[in-house]
Amino acid sequence: MVNYIYDSSFEGLLTAIYESYYSDKPPEHILPDRYVQQQLLCENIQIVTCEQKADKVYHAILKKISSYALRHTYYAFLSEKQDISTTLYHYLRLGFKVGKDIDRYLIDENVRCVHDISRKVGFERHRMLGLLRFRQVGTDNYYASFEPDYNITALIAPHFTKRLSDQNWIIHDMKRNIGAIYKKDTKAWIISDMMAYQPIHDISHEKMFQEMWKTYFNSIAIEAKQNAKLQRQFMPQRYWKHLIEKQ
Amino acid sequence: METMIKLKILADAAKYDVSCSSSGSSRANTPDGIGNAHLAGICHSWADDGRCISLLKILFTNECIYNCAYCVNKITSDVPRATFTPEEVAMLTISFYRRNYIEGLFLSSAVYKSPDYTMELMIGAVKLLRETHRFNGYIHMKGIPGANASLIKLAGLYVDRMSINIELPSNNSLQLLAPQKKKEHIVGSMGFLQSSITEAKENRKHFKKAPAFVPAGQTTQLIVGATPEPDLNILTLSENLYKRFEMKRVYYSGYIPAVEHPNLPSIFTTPPRLREHRLYQADWLLRFYHFRSSELLDDKNPNFDVNLDPKCDWALRHLESFPVEVNTAEYETLLRVPGIGVTSAKKILSARKVQSLTYEHLKKMRVVLKRAQYFITCKGKYYGKVDLNESLIRECITYENMCSSGHLATGEQLSIYTCMRQTPQNIS
Repeated sequence: MVNYIYDSSFEGLLTAIYESYYSDKPPEHILPDRYVQQQLLCENIQIVTCEQKADKVYHAILKKISSYALRHTYYAFLSEKQDISTTLYHYLRLGFKVGKDIDRYLIDENVRCVHDISRKVGFERHRMLGLLRFRQVGTDNYYASFEPDYNITALIAPHFTKRLSDQNWIIHDMKRNIGAIYKKDTKAWIISDMMAYQPIHDISHEKMFQEMWKTYFNSIAIEAKQNAKLQRQFMPQRYWKHLIEKQ
Repeated sequence: METMIKLKILADAAKYDVSCSSSGSSRANTPDGIGNAHLAGICHSWADDGRCISLLKILFTNECIYNCAYCVNKITSDVPRATFTPEEVAMLTISFYRRNYIEGLFLSSAVYKSPDYTMELMIGAVKLLRETHRFNGYIHMKGIPGANASLIKLAGLYVDRMSINIELPSNNSLQLLAPQKKKEHIVGSMGFLQSSITEAKENRKHFKKAPAFVPAGQTTQLIVGATPEPDLNILTLSENLYKRFEMKRVYYSGYIPAVEHPNLPSIFTTPPRLREHRLYQADWLLRFYHFRSSELLDDKNPNFDVNLDPKCDWALRHLESFPVEVNTAEYETLLRVPGIGVTSAKKILSARKVQSLTYEHLKKMRVVLKRAQYFITCKGKYYGKVDLNESLIRECITYENMCSSGHLATGEQLSIYTCMRQTPQNIS
């Protein structure tokens, strides 16, 4: 049995897929290095990420399968699920065989699994477009913290770049300690490591706006229709920590 | 008066408005502006009643010259009154928007002094937002029936969506409960809006720079359960509104008794939540499933069976068209199978191109078969728990609905517990 181990980056995964086609030892599993355990009877092969090889696979998916399949692949990858890399490997192998019809194979275990996870990631992305909360930390500076289930910071940043383009902002994923940092002068954002981030205090009138929002939140509900269960279904409790109206 | 207190009063006064959607517009941001509209809309929070919060929904003022029987803001009501300034509305919208609390503004109002005067105040606020603050987020504004057409025309240039409430399902009820609102005014304003929207769309086909006018279209809302009209009248009315005025949505608001009045149900009546839910389901059937209201209800059955969803009820009365073969049925036919929605129908269509489907396949594809099993065959085989017989299937499905602890089809602010307690609300 052979396992391919890659460096947890998307390029690394694509490189592993590239190698699987040119190796006489096709992998049993493909694993990001953060999940690796040494198992008996298993040979671990370390994949060295190579941009050119990744690029080839990337364009091959676009050309020989479809842009939908590429999107599913990327979204599913961002779920960071333990066995998703192996599933994606099987998904793409089938994809290279059947081409753009891949997403019609809904009865195939791997296709269904990729679709399910990609949908979940897409769903959380959409949810966070609404549930993210900024606080004002300077004249034109805003800061938002959140702890998403999946690694979606890079998926939501473009939305806020278009929408809140005239303010500087930081979106901080506290779970992974990474953040998207946007500067209004350059109109560009980058993903950055947030290990060394020092929290900045809110500006003085921030509290007032938060109170206003809470007042609004409480006034808009109809008492005769109280439905806490439904509320939690749409807005799961694990997100409340960062929601101003729920503090 | 402090802005905080005004916000409390005027949000509270706006809460009975059911519309909250922020969809239908794809307004882009401008280089020096703030905000844009997301075509599919975005929900930002969910209130304690489970309803989504997308827009800052407020009244401009709750000082009203009208005396509509069902309304908490009527002139004779003893409630605290407040009026915003345009600056306050703009400040709240922008500060909430910058913090990503909201998708935009929903501005409604009581009728202050006159319909025209009220419209002018509201236009003042949205103009300030669009022009001074260069706000490009979503704005939904109520049209005040009876306001001058030129004011509606002006407002339409600033907002994404506009709605004029039809309030009650018949002219009689309107005269009884809201005598100062005239049907001619309501319908007249709707018609004017619709023709202006069409005209602007036409212009934009020819001139790229022609101004957008209410790009997300118009909607309306009506109160269910305050007056005796059966579901048939309500659904037919909606169908006509969709056809005649190209409404994007008709919202139904189950009457929540808030005031005592001889022409209204008693203050102890429970809100008709399940009935409201069935109407929404039927409304969906009109808009996305190509049903006509006359197929769903008629003079013999003027009200929905609250124990069954309207599509299932329809299918059981038309068993001659079933079962359908999932491997060959057309899209439109699949859509009419209870339990199969747009998503499942599309999945089936897509998957059967590469492989003919069995019942197991459908399960794996997560097509919900609880109801569908009685109405389909897979490769010619029927998998229903009982034979194709109306009363047997009806019993099975009703029984399962009662037992299941999950949620109803679309979960419109309902749980099964509320359904079981509830009795149908048909006042005759």
